[in-house]
Amino acid sequence: MSIRLRQSWCLAMALSTVGTTAAAQIPDVALERRLAEELGLSVGDTLQLGPAADSVSRPAVVSAIYEPKPDPAEIAKRERHVRLHLPDLAGMLGQPDRIDRFGIGLQPGVSPDTAAAVLDRSAFGYRAYTSRAIASESSQTFLVVSRFHRAIAVITIVASAVFLLCIMLLKVEERRLDAAIMRFVGVRRRTIFGALLLEAAVVAAVGSVVGTGLAYAAGLATNTYYRRFFDTALTFSLITPDIVLFGVVLSLALGLVAGGVAAWRLVRTRPMVLWGRG
Amino acid sequence: MSGLDWSLKGLGRHRLRTALSVAGIAISAAMLLDMVMLSGGIEKSFAEMLLAKGYQIRLTPKGTLPFDTEATLAGAGNIVETLRRDPAVESAGAILGTSLYGRRGDSLVTLFGYGIQPEAQALYRLQDGLDLATNDTTGVLLSEPAARLLNAAVGDSVSLVGRLDPQVATAVVSRRLVVRGIVGWVYDYRGQPSVGTVLRVMQSMARPTAEDRASLLMVKVRDDAMAPAVAIRLRSQFPRLEVYSVADLVSFFKRRLVYFRQLSYILGTMSLIVTVLLVTTLLTITINERLGEIATLRAIGVSRTTIVRQVLIEGVALTVIGGGLGTLLGLGTARYLDGILTSFPGLPAAFSFFVPRPESLTTAGLVLLVTGFLAGLYPAWLAARAPIAATLRAEAT
Repeated sequence: MSIRLRQSWCLAMALSTVGTTAAAQIPDVALERRLAEELGLSVGDTLQLGPAADSVSRPAVVSAIYEPKPDPAEIAKRERHVRLHLPDLAGMLGQPDRIDRFGIGLQPGVSPDTAAAVLDRSAFGYRAYTSRAIASESSQTFLVVSRFHRAIAVITIVASAVFLLCIMLLKVEERRLDAAIMRFVGVRRRTIFGALLLEAAVVAAVGSVVGTGLAYAAGLATNTYYRRFFDTALTFSLITPDIVLFGVVLSLALGLVAGGVAAWRLVRTRPMVLWGRG
Repeated sequence: MSGLDWSLKGLGRHRLRTALSVAGIAISAAMLLDMVMLSGGIEKSFAEMLLAKGYQIRLTPKGTLPFDTEATLAGAGNIVETLRRDPAVESAGAILGTSLYGRRGDSLVTLFGYGIQPEAQALYRLQDGLDLATNDTTGVLLSEPAARLLNAAVGDSVSLVGRLDPQVATAVVSRRLVVRGIVGWVYDYRGQPSVGTVLRVMQSMARPTAEDRASLLMVKVRDDAMAPAVAIRLRSQFPRLEVYSVADLVSFFKRRLVYFRQLSYILGTMSLIVTVLLVTTLLTITINERLGEIATLRAIGVSRTTIVRQVLIEGVALTVIGGGLGTLLGLGTARYLDGILTSFPGLPAAFSFFVPRPESLTTAGLVLLVTGFLAGLYPAWLAARAPIAATLRAEAT
């Protein structure tokens, strides 16, 4: 459990590269891999940093290049990060012993909410947040995207349901002549109904399997494309067993309902009408 | 009987299947319309918002987008003066954005502060009261949420506090200002409590030194058509600043929201595929059922072209009916989906993702019509190549 204190100021960093001239007393920095690639820098190179575009004059040596942890909140921003030791950064900003935020680890059993409330009461100028509150706040964007996806999914499911009903109806109606002949030779209505229903179930089941395969292929394509597009290891499309189960059950149920309705209409029609002579 | 009558009669023979097909096409058409609105609406809505007050160019600290970071640029007054002397520039103003606090009773509320130059402002529309005068260092403008939060109205005094120091638990600057007006800030998110003062006052509340800093400069070019060229010129004139035309900012924004644009293309394409499958399947089965009728028509002298035309009309009629219903459905769902997406934290309240425009409706309608026509081609081909004698013989037995 931890809480964080945050002051409402942030820094702007500007970068400019210089050659490979590492020197003593120059601060070390760690560069994000993509930034190092974009600037053509490697470990040991020197670059210049500054808090604003008009004051990029402090040399620093690249001591490490790191791969940042994939963060969905960052991918669209395409921001590039540099890590410095805290005193180096504070000195560069001209504000020694000032920080943007810091984390507090609590003793076991101490409630983060209570600790945050106590800290908030003790002084003003900062705000204490629990880790859970920060996670909740920073995930708001994804909650909106998730709601949007759910709404689109509902529309897609309705469209698919109507499509499936329509196709099933047409599929069963295609069997009018077969049904008429079966009725002429004495096959019972119940048997015809059962046969048509079984056929609808088989079509729905095969469709579900093919659809699941298509979904996996589409998911694979989506992940491959967006991972390359955003240069990240994030997973964009995740097909869980629950989703597959939902899709298969829904399509089977819809297929059976549609097949059942169509088959019921067919077996209630007189054989001569089915034969086209009624 | 006209081609349309024949087509409608054909569709009316099987009401349930026609109704289901129309429903399917309507949902697909609604999705298509929504996606057309989404793909173009984002950038149009953003461009309109940027041009709300006619300012076509923004200058920001190097490497930043407007209000994307808390970086500021120095010497704002001098740059503004230089810009105002440019014969192509009609108006230019500096803006400083910063966090500050307002006193409410014995507590503080967090606000967002805009420092503006009232003679050249592109950030707000006056809703009540008066605008700030150029040198009004005692006045303040409030957004409605800020007025509610501070419990203040036009003519009231409010106390604003800046530069809180957590180490000594005191505010460095505190000013009592008179509310001149209530305004709607163009780029505020829903419910954002914002206040505005003249630039000098906000600068003094934001920073300890008397630096003339601003978050961004906005420029209004006399001739809209000249704005891109002026932006290029300013870029070379101010190499330490970022200079953005509206097109540049729209391009950045599009890159950030590329996901939604691509999603709209994928879902729009899927909608079209569903429409094609539905119309083609329905017409193919209908044509197969009516082969006898078609063969009879051919036998009495009706030309192949007429048969093909009638099948195509049937496909288009089905699409038009479904598309009409889909348009109404699409406008409704667009409103619902827009309500979801505009709840993004920090998104300006004036922004929309789904913007119903005549061109969106026209594009979706035309695409749907072409789709309906194309979907009818295969069944029309089947109808046209039906062997007359064999079909009639089969029908007779």
